Amino acid sequence: MIHAVVADDELLARQKLRQLLREEPEVDVIGESATAAETIELVRVAQPDLLFLDIRMPGMDGFDVIEALASEPSFTMPRVIFTTAYDSYALRAFDIHAVDYLLKPFTLERLHSAVENARQQLQGSKQPSAREDEAKSNGDRYTQRIVFKSRGRILFLAVSEIRWIGAEENYVRICTQSETHLLRETMSRLEERLDPQMFLRVHRSSIVNLQFVKEVRTDADGECMVILVNGQKIPMSRSYRARIQDWLHR
Amino acid sequence: MELQRRLVHTSRGRKRVEGLALKFLERIKSRSQPIVFHPAVFIGGFVCLGFLFALQSWVSYRTMNYKISLVLLMEAWGVQFLIWGVICWLLWLWLGPRIQQAELPGILMGVLPLSIAVTIGEEMIWVLCFPGWPMERKAMSYWQKVQFQLDAEFVDNMLLFWCTFFLIRGVGYYQKYREKEHAAAQLEIEVVHAQMRALRMQLNPHFLFNTLNGISSLMRVDIAGADTMLEQLSSLLRITLERGEIQLIPLSDEMEFVEMYLAIQHQRYAGRVCEKVRVEPELHDALVPAMILQPILENAYTHGLSLLDRDGVLTVEARREGGLVRLTVRNTGVGLNPEFTRTSPGQGVGLANVKNRLQLHYGEDQCFFLDAVSADTVMVTIMLPLQFAMSPTRKLTGYGV
Repeated sequence: MIHAVVADDELLARQKLRQLLREEPEVDVIGESATAAETIELVRVAQPDLLFLDIRMPGMDGFDVIEALASEPSFTMPRVIFTTAYDSYALRAFDIHAVDYLLKPFTLERLHSAVENARQQLQGSKQPSAREDEAKSNGDRYTQRIVFKSRGRILFLAVSEIRWIGAEENYVRICTQSETHLLRETMSRLEERLDPQMFLRVHRSSIVNLQFVKEVRTDADGECMVILVNGQKIPMSRSYRARIQDWLHR
Repeated sequence: MELQRRLVHTSRGRKRVEGLALKFLERIKSRSQPIVFHPAVFIGGFVCLGFLFALQSWVSYRTMNYKISLVLLMEAWGVQFLIWGVICWLLWLWLGPRIQQAELPGILMGVLPLSIAVTIGEEMIWVLCFPGWPMERKAMSYWQKVQFQLDAEFVDNMLLFWCTFFLIRGVGYYQKYREKEHAAAQLEIEVVHAQMRALRMQLNPHFLFNTLNGISSLMRVDIAGADTMLEQLSSLLRITLERGEIQLIPLSDEMEFVEMYLAIQHQRYAGRVCEKVRVEPELHDALVPAMILQPILENAYTHGLSLLDRDGVLTVEARREGGLVRLTVRNTGVGLNPEFTRTSPGQGVGLANVKNRLQLHYGEDQCFFLDAVSADTVMVTIMLPLQFAMSPTRKLTGYGV
């Protein structure tokens, strides 16, 4: 069970969040607060796992709340999901390792994915697995999350959700299970950021997430391609073939 | 006490002189005038004219078999015109715009006496400079010499003065004309900008209320659906507001908007329409007028796709054709029916708006046409010149743990 606190100065906003969280059986809202001071007090006493935090509140803002809580010794910080109408704090929220950044108004679906991320992070911190440790040791060098704006939303996308990345001139297209996002970025810069244990460049213009690779195939014309678990075909250069074969037979 | 007062007085006097000098300098600086009025050019021009006269008189003396040194003539004429140049330039500096504004009475009462005074003054200075002239005559007193020079040159000098006067007026008129022309061009640009702003503004509310109406009807039957649509609408408003009044945006931004718009419409038409968007990657950074496609898409829905109860297809494409961008919106429906389009008022507004904006942005370097590609498919094509942003803006992107 995830114990959560909802902090927002607007009653309607708190009501909406409470209502939507009823659809999340794992989340139990243990308290609500309407000001920064109230929030600090409540979190200190109730020690929730998850905090839904508005940024602009009377008195101090959401970041001040976190600063005040973080300055306390021997206090376990709850995971934080920001809920706000302003998109200008996204990078700051990302930098202080917030779980997600929900722009109001948000849908149940969007909230669900945020809660899911929080749940995974909470589980991870409770019982760190071997893989997690490995990821952590690489964490300094390689990015695990990307923050960007797409279609008017702010996304804190875990790179593990990326299935493949395609180059489109000065842009890259990041494809997840359900969506694609166009980012102004170069393949080489992105490749540098990604853990080579997880991502493989298979072509000048594509990078695949090895977790989603089903097979490598050569068709009748001798063209190589990578087939993803969802059946999608991604062309592959011959020069990269050996590398992926290695990985598949590992 | 007396001394003190005098000191104060002189310091005041000095300040006044300094003030005047400063004013004078400012006047020179502030009058960004045509190059003709640069002192070097203006006075230099006069001196050149003097040299030409010197040459002319030298040649005419030679033809009369009268020998005289060219250098001597050059000196005399050169100095004469140098004095004229300096006087005229100072007068221009002193009188400034008054030369322009003077009416006939002012010219008769002010400039005419001035011209006579200047003519006499100039000869007085010149005689001072050349005490040896006129040569080969009996000795004359200073005033006799001045008298002699005036007898010989009064008419010429007056002519020179008035020519300069009208030259300055002429240049003034020309300048005024240029200024007016410039202001007119500026005004035209401003009018165009105002028009563009107005045209962009027409799009938002129209579309906004339609969508709000959609949400209003959806929330009675499908709360989650209405919620989704509200989120989509907010996202759309967010990026629209963020964009502000920028007229030309990268195609990638326009397409982001299109995709969001299509997502809302998809919700509204509950799966009756299949939307396809295809953009050539090299066009992501091409500049297009913001929200140029939205009215066309809206048109495609209201007059085509909304009339189908299933399997509608809407295709948006951006292709490069040489130095042009070709944007196409193709939709299935009932085809082009002139009877039908005529009976639906308001249909033309959105498309006319698009045409106007294209015209304002690109003049004749664009085209827009709407035609039926088959019995049930209508296609709108826009062609515009391919331009890229000077410095493409990077949106918020960050990496981390």
